[in-house]
Amino acid sequence: MAETYLSPLWISLKTVLTATAITFFLGIAAARWMARYQGKFRNLIDGIFILPLVLPPTVVGLGLLLLFGIHGPLGKLLLLFGASVVFSWPATVIAAAVVAFPLMYMTACGAFEQVEINIENAARTLGASEWRIFWSVTLPLALPGVAAGAILSLARSLGEFGATLMLAGSIPGRTTTIPIAIYFAVEAGDNHQTIMLVLIVLAVAFGLLAALAYWKRRATNTGNIPLVPQDID
Amino acid sequence: MLEVRIRKNLPGFNLDVAFAVNQEILAVIGPSGSGKTMTMLCIAGLIPPDEGYIKLNSKVLYDSDSDINLPPQQRRVGFVFQNYALFPHLTVRDNIAFGIRHLSRQDVEEKVGQLLDKMHIQELGHRYPRQLSAGQQQRVALGRALAPEPDVLLMDEPFSALDTHVKERLERELLNLQQFYQGNILFVTHDLSEGYKLSSKIAVYESGRILQCESKQQVIAAPANRTVARLTGVRNLIAGSVAEIEGSSVWVAVPGLGGRLRVAARDAAQPAIGQQVTVGIRAEYVQVADHPDENTFPGKVSQAVEGVSSINYCFRLQGDTAAGYDLEASLSKSEAPPISSGQSCYLRLPPDRLCIIRD
Repeated sequence: MAETYLSPLWISLKTVLTATAITFFLGIAAARWMARYQGKFRNLIDGIFILPLVLPPTVVGLGLLLLFGIHGPLGKLLLLFGASVVFSWPATVIAAAVVAFPLMYMTACGAFEQVEINIENAARTLGASEWRIFWSVTLPLALPGVAAGAILSLARSLGEFGATLMLAGSIPGRTTTIPIAIYFAVEAGDNHQTIMLVLIVLAVAFGLLAALAYWKRRATNTGNIPLVPQDID
Repeated sequence: MLEVRIRKNLPGFNLDVAFAVNQEILAVIGPSGSGKTMTMLCIAGLIPPDEGYIKLNSKVLYDSDSDINLPPQQRRVGFVFQNYALFPHLTVRDNIAFGIRHLSRQDVEEKVGQLLDKMHIQELGHRYPRQLSAGQQQRVALGRALAPEPDVLLMDEPFSALDTHVKERLERELLNLQQFYQGNILFVTHDLSEGYKLSSKIAVYESGRILQCESKQQVIAAPANRTVARLTGVRNLIAGSVAEIEGSSVWVAVPGLGGRLRVAARDAAQPAIGQQVTVGIRAEYVQVADHPDENTFPGKVSQAVEGVSSINYCFRLQGDTAAGYDLEASLSKSEAPPISSGQSCYLRLPPDRLCIIRD
């Protein structure tokens, strides 16, 4: 009995963690790149990055299906290696990552913009390479914002339904995530299953809200450094 | 030796400056938005100029003709930002050690210790920037910039955010800095007295150009033009024409004052007879006399503003032709008794305190 609601939980956790790890790095990389890129396609690229947030998830799912289907460009490419992602577990990850990406990207952009340019410039005059500046100055200073972005995108990918159903379908034990399981449980009138899944989702949601509150406080507090009375010079 | 010759088009004005400093302290003064900070950023390599040439000691940092543009990391330029730009997530020690990571752990420890000593912040090593006062942050910023032993130290309005008493102490410390930092120092300021105290040379900026770049004594004694005179605080600028030259004395006919002024010319290059010039005198150099004499004009106090140690007067000159002419004088309270508003007296413009400005 427990198997029926533990399986979607397990699949969701794997999907969400993998998707968040991917969006985390891709979002930071994209935000970092956009901070430097001043070309004429800036607004267009920015728009494309944010598009999955604006489009209905079913449309995103349809787009992914066209892209990864056996006639799609990426689908054909994967087929050369004997792989197919449609209606498989990786499809849930792709759908969740694509839909959650804009949140990570936008939050990271904002977080990097908050880092004062002169602090990075000071590091430059002190001889630090751009790589070192990013890892030891920019990222630590932007971390509260970046972490908040990661939590937001994690929450978004946990709730992902439309694009996942389009691309991954609902194969119990393989692609049935919690939101999809809830939908089919309600449709089948399985109250017990529905309640168990909803309780699980609620628990995770409150955990995420607590984490978000913590990082928001960090962001406004610039670290948990105690403020001591200032000495008079 | 730092040689700078750069041009850069900016919204509102074009920066076009050239100067050189050789192991000295250069104060860059001028109104805000005149390109002072931009010059610093160009020297540090944080913003590229459009064209020009920057050479530090034997190293060319930037040369548009041969496409040389060293990144800031390779320029060995120390920079103290106006808001200090300390790393907020690092302790004071780690801030200072940031630029000397290539040294061994032991050397870093030693060097950071020395700098904490020199900056008088020994006990603050483990604090974070936000736990420090503005003056302490300033010291950390200076220590951090000096740690990698830069070839030139650039400071952008280093004292603008400080209280007067802290500022004065830090100014004295900066003068002592020369004992252990033998490099060029450039600092931006909009405070002439601060610039004069700390520098050996002053560059006066306006609208992206350097109007004068000479020893501080020269800039104050002989402003290159009216704008420099105005920017360096010469309150009295009197238009006239050269009437007579005899030895080192130059007589300038001043129709506005209805007479002639004798100026004891300092420099060898004397003006030509008949040339239109401006005679300038700082308010502090105007004297009050009780009887007519050379370079003396009758006047009446029209306004008096009492300061802490001196009183600033605005005199309206009297007489047939000089009527309506205003002169400003700043008289030390300890030397001259206060003059009440409306009272008449004579104003003397000492010949050796006057400067001739050829525009």
